[in-house]
Amino acid sequence: MRPMAFLEKDVASMPTQNTQFRKKHRLHERIIEAIMFLFALFSLLITVGIVVILLRESYLFFSDPKVNLLGFLTGKDWQPMIDQFGFLPLLNATFTTSIIAMLLGIPVGLFVAVYLAEYASDRMRGILKPTLEVLAGIPTIVYGYFALTFMTPLLRMLFGQERVEIYNTGSAGLVIGILVLPLIATMAEDAISSVPKELRLASYALGGTKIETTFQVVIPAALSGLSATFLLALSRAIGETMVVALAAGAGPKLTADPFKAAETITGYIVRISGGDVSYNSVDYNSIFALGLVLFLITFTLNLISRKISNVFHQEYE
Amino acid sequence: MKKATIVMIAILALLMLPVFGAGSKEAKPQETTQFAWVEEQGVNGLPGVNPIKVSGNIITAGSSTVYPLSERMAERFKQEGYSGVITIDSIGSGAGFERFTVAGETDIANASRAIKAKEIEAAKLIGRSPIEFRVGTDALAVVVSNQNTFAKNVTKEELAKLFSTAKNWSDVNPAWPNEPIQRFIPGTDSGTFDYFSEEVFKNNPEPMLSAQNLQLSEDDNILVQGIKGSPYAVGFFGYAYYAENADSLSILSINSVQASKANVDNGTYPLARPLFIYSDAQIMRSKSQVAAFIDFYLSYVNEEVIGVGYFPANDEELEKGRQTWLKAMNGTY
Repeated sequence: MRPMAFLEKDVASMPTQNTQFRKKHRLHERIIEAIMFLFALFSLLITVGIVVILLRESYLFFSDPKVNLLGFLTGKDWQPMIDQFGFLPLLNATFTTSIIAMLLGIPVGLFVAVYLAEYASDRMRGILKPTLEVLAGIPTIVYGYFALTFMTPLLRMLFGQERVEIYNTGSAGLVIGILVLPLIATMAEDAISSVPKELRLASYALGGTKIETTFQVVIPAALSGLSATFLLALSRAIGETMVVALAAGAGPKLTADPFKAAETITGYIVRISGGDVSYNSVDYNSIFALGLVLFLITFTLNLISRKISNVFHQEYE
Repeated sequence: MKKATIVMIAILALLMLPVFGAGSKEAKPQETTQFAWVEEQGVNGLPGVNPIKVSGNIITAGSSTVYPLSERMAERFKQEGYSGVITIDSIGSGAGFERFTVAGETDIANASRAIKAKEIEAAKLIGRSPIEFRVGTDALAVVVSNQNTFAKNVTKEELAKLFSTAKNWSDVNPAWPNEPIQRFIPGTDSGTFDYFSEEVFKNNPEPMLSAQNLQLSEDDNILVQGIKGSPYAVGFFGYAYYAENADSLSILSINSVQASKANVDNGTYPLARPLFIYSDAQIMRSKSQVAAFIDFYLSYVNEEVIGVGYFPANDEELEKGRQTWLKAMNGTY
């Protein structure tokens, strides 16, 4: 009984207005809270809705007697109109453009980031960063025409008209590389900047030069953050649509040659949905199955990227 | 999770309401002022149209081949005073019929082939009965880049090889170079694709779609770009797109017959085909602007059709269209 009595006494002695202050729930605050919660819920519902629809429509595709999963994953011909359902040519073209994009985007983006984070004067940074932001703000359809009317003619000039087809994955890939450059540069700069100053100072104290410090201490220390950046950029490149729809080609083709035309997953989806094919046809359902594949690929990449960057945050905090 | 799905479906259903609702608002009883645009002076038996007095919007969609012609007629309609909005979507004949007969979103369907029986059935389900107006004739053009100096003429048999099994040009004709053929053809949903597979491959699209180096697009400009790009490229589309790009493309003659007005008129050009627009009497009666536009279209199409790059339909066919219009509108104005 003793502690209980003590507690009661304690409560009684508290200033009354204080308890009131803590307990009072203002109605309008609750309303605002509820509204904000609804908005948050809404974005969640949209995500769920998209996944549900993707799954349902893909199920329609895979339940078609002419389609089987193994054939879908391993077939080398994609032409749903005549019952060829192997999606390898599309996947191959998607990877070709994305890998070319990464081959350009990663080194250039990384150097831009290193320059911005380690070397650039404030004035220089003041000029470069807004320029990068402008690059990030250009609509992707403009990049598409840039690929078709600038990059492709350039490639054809360098490697020969005969060698380079008018629509080709190389041109689209390079332009996607330019497109993801601002993303890589800004995120990589963040990763590099968040390496603790002590590491740099320690390196200088050991006699390291600026360049040794940057490339042998700072970048390895930022590696997990950088990897997360690259994966995110890769997932962005895989999902890129307008550039490939305009410049990569409009027919599925299994080829490793970046100077030949080939259609990517997104390019196919855009062509079929743009043509408004009948809603009940297998062509139409196939775009949802491909959408699901695309979603799974980018979702996995984003997930890995998040995991890596979480590890990175734990390292120094 | 289950609850979330239900809420989601409810939201989606709410969003869909206006879409479904749109189909049911037809036949408004305001007949008296609706036909103010009808004029005494007619053209070839059809009542005259005064576009200044036409109001309300018109929605059309369909064939990319008919598109330039409809576009031209709409422009002229507007120039002469029509103040509404006329939408012309270039999405392929099949998709155009789909929107006209299934979704019921459009007033007019443009088509480079006749409507199919199953499309008429679909239209019946939403209470429409499509009526046909012939507006012109296209000579489907088989084209190569003007850098191509070897191909001038193909026979129909060569045409079939060119767009299916042949890998190199030399496989079609030994005199041609041993270089891979690059093919640029209209997408599977276009009337042009249907027509070509019917005419050259006896309605079986399989050989055409399994060809190598194949690019398909509903956008004829993408095809034009592609064909311009290489001396070893070949493709086909409506004559208008050739006419527009005649400086960079060469047209092949088929069985030694050139695509010309004379050869289309006398029926010797093997790839000549009719161009149509479709509407429905009910729509024309309730939305008088649609009737006005079709009237205007049929009255003046022959003055515009050559400029666009097609050939006039013969008089009999045009007269049939006019009679169809008169029958559909009988007693309304």
